[in-house]
Amino acid sequence: MTAHPNRLHESAARLPAGRPRRAAAGGVSPAGLLALALIGLAALALPLVADSYLLHSCIVVLFFAYMATAWNFVCGYVGQLSIGHAMFAGVGGYATVLLFTGLGLSPWLGLPVGGLLAAALSVVVGYPTFRLRGPYFALTTIAFAEMIRIWVENTESVLGIPVNGAAGLTVPLAGESLAALQFNGKAPYYYLIVALLAGALAATWALERSKLGFYLKAIRGDRDAAESLGISPARYQLVALAISAFMTGIGGGFYAQFFRYVNAERLIGVDLSIDMALMSIIGGQGTVFGPLLGAVLLAPLAEITRGTLGGSFLGLHLVVYGIILMLAVLYLPKGLIAPLRAVLARLARRGGAR
Amino acid sequence: MDPLILSFALVNGLLIGGVYGGVALGLSLIFGVMRVVNFAHGSLLMLALYAAFWLQALAGIDPYASVVVTVPLLFAVGFLIQSVVIAPLIRRESALVVEPLSALLLTAGVYLVIDNLALMAFGPDVRSASSGLALAPLMLGPIPVNMQRLIAFLAAILAAVSLSLWLRSTRMGRAIRATAQNRDAAALSGIDVPLVYAVTFGIGAALLGLFGSLLATFIPITPQVGLSFGIRSFIVVVLGGIGSIPGSIVGGLVIGVFEALASQFVPATSAAILSLGLFVLILLVRPSGLMGRA
Repeated sequence: MTAHPNRLHESAARLPAGRPRRAAAGGVSPAGLLALALIGLAALALPLVADSYLLHSCIVVLFFAYMATAWNFVCGYVGQLSIGHAMFAGVGGYATVLLFTGLGLSPWLGLPVGGLLAAALSVVVGYPTFRLRGPYFALTTIAFAEMIRIWVENTESVLGIPVNGAAGLTVPLAGESLAALQFNGKAPYYYLIVALLAGALAATWALERSKLGFYLKAIRGDRDAAESLGISPARYQLVALAISAFMTGIGGGFYAQFFRYVNAERLIGVDLSIDMALMSIIGGQGTVFGPLLGAVLLAPLAEITRGTLGGSFLGLHLVVYGIILMLAVLYLPKGLIAPLRAVLARLARRGGAR
Repeated sequence: MDPLILSFALVNGLLIGGVYGGVALGLSLIFGVMRVVNFAHGSLLMLALYAAFWLQALAGIDPYASVVVTVPLLFAVGFLIQSVVIAPLIRRESALVVEPLSALLLTAGVYLVIDNLALMAFGPDVRSASSGLALAPLMLGPIPVNMQRLIAFLAAILAAVSLSLWLRSTRMGRAIRATAQNRDAAALSGIDVPLVYAVTFGIGAALLGLFGSLLATFIPITPQVGLSFGIRSFIVVVLGGIGSIPGSIVGGLVIGVFEALASQFVPATSAAILSLGLFVLILLVRPSGLMGRA
């Protein structure tokens, strides 16, 4: 399986034109910075005007945006498809809850510890699997995640630690407590997920400009050529995967705190992995804002069908996801962000000429 | 361990393993010819199971008789999926093979659409169909052999043999093999490649029509049943060697016996974890599978 010729052309064509285009699209221009600042301010002001239901929905949408951004950090930039990222969310979520219930460790520490455990798992899983390419890699990631899901679903306790099988774990109520990361209102959770998302976007932005980012793009373009230039695909893919798993694990911990409940089917199941991947892909993988765009467009669908149409339309949003995914793969393989960028660039140019 | 119980487990493992192999045939064929990993493979089996169920519930047709409907129905579904969903991708790609990841994503979209439409249409309830043929278990010495499973097992062997013969001896079969070897050369020698692809996908799905009818008599039918069969088919195909028809049956037998024997010593769920582990191990150590030619 060699790299696809179209991809080669793409990366070759990008080299000379890369710098000016990045400056235009990467948010470095004053107009772009202003727009970002305005969006950021609007986002921070939202809890002042939104009711609890709307705020809840926004938190869920931003959670998916964060998870898709974390997925994109490795998969979007090395061009490998992971359908097992939920296993990292599961480790983070379960670790956060168990550290709190078992050792009384504050979730403020539980989140990063869960993230580190997820990163450790990612190294164990990634070390052998990154040698595989294309569908083989994708299938192996499913296999690892399913092994963990089936194990958790059928284990009541291990070494005295209660895993609680398919029933899942609840976070004991601590009332309004900053130390226990539990709040009666939604606004604190909202600000937390906004901060996490901002961090993930900043990490991706930094990745695009780092040596690691260039290595990853080289590996995506042509792995053999990259290797012959002295870039070790295994090492750099692993580093990116560990960072991605760290962020995903923290996301799992956030999920646990926000819903005060974790179970294997939701948090380790294939559905969450597919959601992360398809939001990234539809929005535009391998870009800073693509996954955010994908989540903002897709995740509300799930919220709306669940909230207004009720149980009889249980799978409706997934049907729509599937159709949009097929259309995107066929007609917009670079994601919805590609045409959006073209429009923005044209607007910016017109504005500049005036 | 009681040898009688062990041999009972062995017989059951062989029977269900043959069925796994039969279910995986289409996945292997489609990958072998088109290099497309069909993520919707299990969903098509789920459709066939529901077709058999509804034919019995609404029209009183016995699941075994419903084969005459489910096989052509699934052929049509497969033919349509290929010509409507996947063909545009293949037209876009000028290279010899399509980019496997795009194809995987496309069929993942098909999986999401089919599984969730089924969930909306049929609800999450568990259904089952039963055949009017009340078949007493066949006694193999002291070991009872479930007849429904034996029939499905024999059908799997028969399907694999006929598929091999058909690919070897008919005009369309030769066209399919030629296209698998080299799409452009096949097109140059006058083979209608889009038609060959659509027929290949159709046959891969039609095989699931057959097993949908046969399995409806002994497995619970839910909208989610597809994914587990799909994942198990991936395991079988990778184990047997991707694209190899005898490999698919052998891989199925190995997995069936492995799970049946393992579940004598560990809980059945741990056996499922072990076979996923076996899958990862095979991919890492011998990606060409047991019967594959590198």
